[in-house]
Amino acid sequence: MRRDQVTAALSPVLVNLGALLLTVAISMGVIAVSGNDPVAAMRALWDGAFGGRTQIAGTLSKMIPLMLVALGWIVAYRARRVSIGFEGQILAGGILATWVGLSFSSLPMVIHLPLAVLAGVVGGALWAGIAAVLWARRSVNEIISTLLLNLIAIQIVNWLVRGPFQESTGTFPRSGPIAPSARWPELIEHTPLSWDFPLALATVFGIWFVLKRTTFGFRLQFTGANEEAARYGGIDTRSVTVIALVVSGALAGLAGSSLLLGGESRSMSDNFSANYGFEGIVVALLARNHPIACIPAALLFALLRQGGGLMEARVGVPSSVVMITQGLVILLVAGSGFLLDQRGRVRVDAEESTPHPPTEARRATVEVG
Amino acid sequence: MAPLLQMTGITKRFPGVVACRDVSFAVEAGEIHGLLGENGAGKSTLVKILYGLVDPDEGRIEIDGREVRIRSPRHALALGVGMVHQHFMLVPTMTVAENVALGLRSDRPPLSRLRRVAAKVAELSQRYGFHIDPDQQVGELSVGLQQRVEILKLLCRGAELLVLDEPTAVLTPQEWQQLRGTMRSLADAGKAIVFISHKLDEQLSISDRCTVLRDGSVMGTVATAETDKASLARMMVGRDVVLRTERPPRAPGRPVLEVHGLHLNAAEDRCLLADISFTIAQGEIVGIAGVDGNGQRELVEVLMGIRTATTGTIRHEGETVTRLTPRRYNRIGAVIPEDRHRMAIALGLSVRENLVLKDFCRQPFSHRGITRPRVFRDFCASLLQEFDIRTPSLDVAMRQLSGGNQQKVVLAREMHRDPGLLIAAQPTRGLDVGAIEFVYRRLLEHRERGGATLLVSTELDEILSLADRIAVLVSGRFVALLENRDIDIQELGLLMGGASEMVAS
Ligand SMILES: Nc1ncnc2c1ncn2[C@@H]1O[C@H](COP(=O)(O)OP(=O)(O)OP(=O)(O)O)[C@@H](O)[C@H]1O
Ligand SMILES: [Mg+2]
Repeated sequence: MRRDQVTAALSPVLVNLGALLLTVAISMGVIAVSGNDPVAAMRALWDGAFGGRTQIAGTLSKMIPLMLVALGWIVAYRARRVSIGFEGQILAGGILATWVGLSFSSLPMVIHLPLAVLAGVVGGALWAGIAAVLWARRSVNEIISTLLLNLIAIQIVNWLVRGPFQESTGTFPRSGPIAPSARWPELIEHTPLSWDFPLALATVFGIWFVLKRTTFGFRLQFTGANEEAARYGGIDTRSVTVIALVVSGALAGLAGSSLLLGGESRSMSDNFSANYGFEGIVVALLARNHPIACIPAALLFALLRQGGGLMEARVGVPSSVVMITQGLVILLVAGSGFLLDQRGRVRVDAEESTPHPPTEARRATVEVG
Repeated sequence: MAPLLQMTGITKRFPGVVACRDVSFAVEAGEIHGLLGENGAGKSTLVKILYGLVDPDEGRIEIDGREVRIRSPRHALALGVGMVHQHFMLVPTMTVAENVALGLRSDRPPLSRLRRVAAKVAELSQRYGFHIDPDQQVGELSVGLQQRVEILKLLCRGAELLVLDEPTAVLTPQEWQQLRGTMRSLADAGKAIVFISHKLDEQLSISDRCTVLRDGSVMGTVATAETDKASLARMMVGRDVVLRTERPPRAPGRPVLEVHGLHLNAAEDRCLLADISFTIAQGEIVGIAGVDGNGQRELVEVLMGIRTATTGTIRHEGETVTRLTPRRYNRIGAVIPEDRHRMAIALGLSVRENLVLKDFCRQPFSHRGITRPRVFRDFCASLLQEFDIRTPSLDVAMRQLSGGNQQKVVLAREMHRDPGLLIAAQPTRGLDVGAIEFVYRRLLEHRERGGATLLVSTELDEILSLADRIAVLVSGRFVALLENRDIDIQELGLLMGGASEMVAS
């Protein structure tokens, strides 16, 4: 039994490492086929991501939105809701954070910064809240509503940076500079890494704790595992789900505020969400929906984002190869998860594959035993 | 001649348990072979091995004297072994013939195939007296008929050995009689049947031989003609089982639940419940008898706030409950829902998590919204003992427990803290005789302590041995509400069939 437990704990780590090594090997093969030196390319990737203080800081700061969005996905998915609205929620959070950052510039930092961050959280929560309410009141599928809300948010940002928020010179489609009192102070001097990084790490542990050790986390888990049984058990599954969606949006909104108030950004431009809203979902998948595992998973994707540029510049590897690598990571690492799930487990009984019995068969209890 | 099926020395281990231990048994052509055993004895595992759903660790399987390794259900079917799942695998919007044709391999074009299948279905249905019209839509069939469609599917695929795992748990007594006839005619035609059921009467009335399992080992195979209920039960459980219950008379106390003039209409003005009125007092068990699907589920859902009654009042301890929600109901009572997989447990979560569903937000299980896993663990460990739940540990997923042990988890969760009001729908579905005895005792203890119980059951024996008063529910109406002493099983059966209208007490 003890032996079993040790192997059970170790095998995911080993399988993941194996999948990573395989990814590296295949990527190097692809680079070689594309006519470049794979060793030099890998070195460039490494140098780009970890070569110096600035590079490391850049990699770490890119982890922030990835981790936060991944957490957002995890929280919503615990209730078995599939939200793909993180882009929109990042934008919505960013808009409110920028608005606070542009206004009230007479406030001291201790008030202005928290206010701007909070505005970001609220913005994301509100944007997700629309989808949540539509789901709860009108049974609107959240996949569709969040996707459409993304498009709306994009257009609003486009309008804002060319209209009300546009810098006074009016040359570029971007906002004026956000007041320094609303910006995160640097964590490492003269680098893009600011104090929102520890906040994001703390959020990871916070969410992990909430899911694992709180009554809300329990309700959420049961709701996701069997909604009807949870309802019979006295859990208000509808409000639990609404809260989950709103919290998930709040996390994406926090990510949006970080993108504008932290790092190197000084103002809001029209594509500041930079696809983090989708890449974060992939990070969560890679982490198998475990909050803590989001940290290494986000590091991996931040590394590719940060180091990919140098690989292109120095060795001439096209950036599409970086994307191929990202795809491989997902396929191999996420795919190896199935391997883990399958092993040592009896084939899923045919009975279990239908979550709801056909109309008349509601009289029939399902018997797996 | 070699038997149709010979399993020898089958062993299957799961982490922490041995589900089958050196099991050997044989089934002859034309034989109905019963499998009996306590919850978790390994019956389902054994037949899943036979159907290619589980790989055995050791042992050999011979069919018609040839050794085989069964790799998948498809392979099992090719070898002539078919299994009816308790949860039917039918598409309700398709006809019987279409359902049978689904997944059949053939090199003919689909349409002509369908016509051939329909003809085959009609012929088989004729031969075995199934009374099934191949063009009827499956969703319109009763559960008993759907079960026959499942059997037809297997017959059309050439099954010679049919495995039925607890097929009768969802059948009415009449449907059971029909299934019995079906099984007999199949056996007479030379098919072999492996029949799992906890109901000893059923085993005795249909099986030719019974193999009894206990803790994964074969206790013996007996010819049913030479045995009786008591000795079968003893073989299974290892001691004598008393199923007759003593229900000492007692004066009912204050009313706990008063229901008056309850109506429930569905969307298209279809009436699901009509004019339901009754009272349950302290120390009273009120039984709701009736054929499944006559409004039992709706009644339970209204009483616990999942649905809102169209009209009518519900009073609890004298107070009218307005805006009843499941959450509020769970504060005043407990519920054992009829369909455990859908309404009671989460198969993917651990035994522990399923056990604490009703308690996790109370002191001492949680404090200011933070749960306390250590308290959970001690509490759950004591429940495992008290309710004799067989599981390798608290952390295994619920789906790894045997059906009866899953039910015991629900019972433990709902009954451990003596709720003032208990709604128990089919509380013994899937339990072995020993466990049923235990549940009856618990229900009567609950009554003894002054608890109020609403017992919804399709088992007449159960109602007659436990209930103080019996209401008969037909098409959403009470056709009778009477004292238990005034009625016998025949009368009750007639009333359930909607034979006569009478109202007493
Ligand atoms: N997939 C599985 N993983 C782990 N253990 C399992 C699995 N399936 C069954 N078991 C265990 O094997 C034992 C036998 O289970 P099985 O379902 O065969 O019992 P059963 O005789 O059908 O009981 P019941 O009458 O309650 O249906 C049980 O202890 C059960 O917990
Ligand atoms: Mg079973």
